[in-house]
Amino acid sequence: MSRPGFVLEVDERTPPLLVHEGEGFRLQRFPMGARVVYPPDSLPAVRDLNAAIRHALLNPHGSEPLPELLRPGMRLTIAFDDISLPLPPMQTPDIRGRIIEHVLELAARAGVDDVRLIVANSLHRRMTPSEIKRAVGERVFRSFWPDALVNHDAEDPDGMTHIGATERGEDVEINRRAAESDLLVYVNINLVPMDGGHKSVPIGLGSYRSLRHHHNVHTMLESRSFMDPPRSALHGSAARMGRLLADHLRIFTIETTLNNDTFPKAFGFLNKREWEWSLADQANMLAAKKANEKAPARIRREVFRRIVSPYGVTGVNAGETEAVHERTLANVHRQQLVEVDGQSDILVLGLPYICPYNVNSVMNPILVQCLGLGYFFNMYLGQPLVRRGGVMILHHPTPWEFHQVHHPSYVDFFDEVLAETTDPTAIEAKFEQQYAQDPWYIHLYRNSYAYHGVHPFYMWYWGAHAMEYLDNNVLFVGGDRRAVRRMGFRAASSFADALEMARDVVGSSPRITYLHSPPLALTEVR
Amino acid sequence: MASLLDDVREVARGWRWGRRGVLPRSAELSSDPPPAKEFPTAWARTPAGRGAREAIQRFVLRPLVWSQTRPSVEGLDHLAGIRPPVMFVSNHASHLDAPLVLCSLPKPWRRRTATAAAADYFFDVWWRGASTALVFNAIPIERAGGGRRSTNTAQALTARGWNLLVFPEGTRSRDGWVGRFRHGAARLCIEHGLPAIPVAIRGAYAAMPRGRSWPRPGRLPVSVRFGPPLAPREGEDFGSFSRRLQVAHARLWDEDRTTWWDSVRREAETSTPPISGPEAARWRRVWEASRPIARKEPSRVWPK
Amino acid sequence: MQALELFRSTPRYVAARTLGGRVPGLVAGPLAPLRLVNREEPKPLGEGWARVRTRLGGICGSDLATISGKVSLYFSPLVSMPFVPGHEIVGELLDDVDGLPQGTRVVLEPVLGCAPRGLEPCGACASGATSRCDRITGGHLSPGLQTGYCADTGGGWGSVLVAHRSQLHAVPDRLTDERAVLVEPLACAIHAALRARPEPGDSVLVVGAGTLGLFAVLALRAFTDAGRVLVVAKHPAQQELARRFGASDVVGTGEAISLLRRTTRAYRLAPERGAPYLLGGVGVALDCVGTGSSLALALRTTRAGGRVVLTGMPGPGADLSPVWFRELEVLGAYAAGTEDLPGGRASTFDPAVGLALDAPLDGVVGAVYRLSRWREALDHALGAGRLGTVKVAFDPRVA
Repeated sequence: MSRPGFVLEVDERTPPLLVHEGEGFRLQRFPMGARVVYPPDSLPAVRDLNAAIRHALLNPHGSEPLPELLRPGMRLTIAFDDISLPLPPMQTPDIRGRIIEHVLELAARAGVDDVRLIVANSLHRRMTPSEIKRAVGERVFRSFWPDALVNHDAEDPDGMTHIGATERGEDVEINRRAAESDLLVYVNINLVPMDGGHKSVPIGLGSYRSLRHHHNVHTMLESRSFMDPPRSALHGSAARMGRLLADHLRIFTIETTLNNDTFPKAFGFLNKREWEWSLADQANMLAAKKANEKAPARIRREVFRRIVSPYGVTGVNAGETEAVHERTLANVHRQQLVEVDGQSDILVLGLPYICPYNVNSVMNPILVQCLGLGYFFNMYLGQPLVRRGGVMILHHPTPWEFHQVHHPSYVDFFDEVLAETTDPTAIEAKFEQQYAQDPWYIHLYRNSYAYHGVHPFYMWYWGAHAMEYLDNNVLFVGGDRRAVRRMGFRAASSFADALEMARDVVGSSPRITYLHSPPLALTEVR
Repeated sequence: MASLLDDVREVARGWRWGRRGVLPRSAELSSDPPPAKEFPTAWARTPAGRGAREAIQRFVLRPLVWSQTRPSVEGLDHLAGIRPPVMFVSNHASHLDAPLVLCSLPKPWRRRTATAAAADYFFDVWWRGASTALVFNAIPIERAGGGRRSTNTAQALTARGWNLLVFPEGTRSRDGWVGRFRHGAARLCIEHGLPAIPVAIRGAYAAMPRGRSWPRPGRLPVSVRFGPPLAPREGEDFGSFSRRLQVAHARLWDEDRTTWWDSVRREAETSTPPISGPEAARWRRVWEASRPIARKEPSRVWPK
Repeated sequence: MQALELFRSTPRYVAARTLGGRVPGLVAGPLAPLRLVNREEPKPLGEGWARVRTRLGGICGSDLATISGKVSLYFSPLVSMPFVPGHEIVGELLDDVDGLPQGTRVVLEPVLGCAPRGLEPCGACASGATSRCDRITGGHLSPGLQTGYCADTGGGWGSVLVAHRSQLHAVPDRLTDERAVLVEPLACAIHAALRARPEPGDSVLVVGAGTLGLFAVLALRAFTDAGRVLVVAKHPAQQELARRFGASDVVGTGEAISLLRRTTRAYRLAPERGAPYLLGGVGVALDCVGTGSSLALALRTTRAGGRVVLTGMPGPGADLSPVWFRELEVLGAYAAGTEDLPGGRASTFDPAVGLALDAPLDGVVGAVYRLSRWREALDHALGAGRLGTVKVAFDPRVA
């Protein structure tokens, strides 16, 4: 039985605590009385994964068993989550590949010839062949690449089809092949509560025309939080679209959940609580930290890029989307939920080296912002961990650095848009259209490996709720001053300085909470 | 007086380094087309070449292939009692095939066996040609057929008592199944009265398909099965011999998949499953062919 | 009289050329092939010539290039040593000459074409395009493409020079000296803008925001219907001025290509080595810096069939592939001459005087030095952009 998450109160006996900061980590002493939120221990993984998958496919929720949906001569499309999940990438065999193999095995037995596999990369960059091969496995890749195993292309005029509009006038436009299939099987990895459900098909296979209805500042301000689907306007809109789609198209959803075995053995100390570190853990931590600090930046990045996590699967559910997602969310909560008593004045976070949009890439300042103010800030149910008007202190070096192939529009967004204003609403009104329709960004999205031109806007909107809620009182410990200032925040040279600066805002004896993550924790604040 | 350098330069004008000279336009008609040059391989069959090959095959190639895959070799007993030269006729799905067959053969057979290799690929550049000739005792064969000279080499070799390993499909399979046999192999057998020994290789496609440069990790099982020799009948044309060869090969494949008894019975009923794979979409053919072959349990003497 | 004299010194030329880039201080210091001399006033060279007392003599980029040895040796037969540099001049007449009485304030059109040389006008001079004169080394004058490069005439960096009547333009009283000294560079900029002749609404790129670049922006706004004018400016003060002069977008060197790509909705390609370039881009680009990299930027960001105008003295080393592949028109704009304007054909200096009167040019002449402090003056001029100054001038009247 693994232990639930818990909230530590820092006292004299508390050792310095580990804080992530980009491609590295530090040990940080916290003031007495500060609270530290730890995620629950990793749940035990499903022992016989193949049996679990088979069971899920043969005993789905709210649907006939998968073999009954398969027949010769049908059009079958299998879509699956892209490189943004899970984080860090999973040790092979990837759960997506495992499930797809099972689905194909059934399809082969049923004599289905017309099969297409689509990476549901939405407006994300395309996955490279080697990344796809890693996700789906060698056998699937060999059988389908490159004709019948493709990236979704939201800007292909012939490849998209407009299904209709929801009762609120939201356009639903998705991948034509998926829409015209007799059966669409979606294979997901539900890392955080935001993922999955009706977000999978309408967004993963959607277009800008469709996404703009929920990927906007208004929706993000109304999503409190977007990690809590029932209270998220984003998910409300996606669900309306998903229900409309379900009327047009048979969708068989397969969702999986992972445990908290986020870091491999060499970094095992990152999964543990500091006072439980063995001598070996301490030695490991020290060696890793020192080696990391001494290593040239290039090597450091390479080491972090090669981290693959030994995630275990905690559940596989299949069938009708909503019935499945209910069970999936329960599994995610079982692994991540921590109850916390009351809000605090200051929220402290250590931002790791990876976010959904920089796998095999560079974490640029906009993504740092999105990870901190978007993802981690929103890891709550009910109310945020920090009070309105409070301060958030983030640890990350925030280097002024961009991946030229993956993030071309980010460079321009940072140079042009943020230089003019950092207000999400103003940015949306003045610049979004221009970037979304820029022919070059579209060209790179379709033919190179670039995120769509509009993607940096979404990253900024993701943080809109936190920016408004905290009145932009966000401090970056160790951040590049120019880059942090460009984003409208402030940099501090040390945690102590940051606390001093924060006291100017929240008073002299603030309540401090440190969210010790990753591994991921979802807080329910009462 | 022109200096030596000038002379050299002058001479060099009519010379194109490493390439064929260019004909003056008006001389094109009166000149013969350039003779096809065959890659020289005779050196690889000198005693020194044979010694080196034996060492490479025994100490490098076999340990390498056997450490990366799990080959099982069956049917070598069919070789007992026949005299070289023979022709080994194998299906072809992987770069593993030639090493698998060669390293499976007993030493006296192996050292007298040459491999027919595509001239356009293996003998295109000198370094690849030389190493293929050395390691596999390869001789260049024109895939397009009509390469008289290359069959000449093969004829000369068989006349001198060398066995030949041929892959009559002419290329590696794209989906792991066995394609149509070309007639070149059958023709050679008939012209020289050679018996053909079918060799069925299964699992090599799953272990190392086209496009991979190293076997898949995990030591996948591979099976190499030699069949009984098949001799051309009196007055048989090569088309019919080729067909018989293919039927024998399919039976052998079936035998490897199930048991010898079942395969023979099915052959009698002409219900041997085709080795050209299921008639289905490409993905399903690849899907089946890439399934690692099942490892057979040693048969029990007494039923349970 | 006092004057700065540029003399021939091969060692200094070589040293300035090799070291000047790395240690600019040396150029204004011991390496300058320049000396302050007391020499005789030049005498009027015949009919139509008059002496002019310099009130202000500007320091131009081409002067600095000459001193630091950056000028192509192509120009070596076009000058006569030693000469007094300075071709941006406002002065007063010391002699009466053809309708201009002694004491008149004048600005100088520096080209020494057929008329000053006492020759029958060549084809170019006859048509008014004196800057294209083919007899620039002939006649009774020593070779010299302009006043300020000729051993016989003197120049703006000395207290007195001689000028031919055809070079002189009287200036209105309300035009201050500080503005009048800018008439010559304004005329060059107008000439460049008219050579560039952007289509109405066309986007125009101006690379560089030194005097020439800034004035090009003024001229483009005043004499063409250019649409967006995008300026690449290195220093904050230049960026500020470029905006004041009418630039629609101003950007630093590093971000130039992204801005151009965005505003023109072009494709941006990155070659395996070297800087990225655009497919698409601006209609017209003016290189107002004159280095290899500034020209390269202009060539790489001009759309197919567009026009690239070399406004400054061009530097070596730009890759000409885009000229061929994008079928660019590359053309030069040197000095000034006669232009076809809406009001009829006129000397470029007429609209230049008008512009000098009307444009927001206060503070453009950022520093005035006496001749004896020429090293400071050159040092200032070499770092003008960084120091927030546009134009540095000499005032030879104060000793």
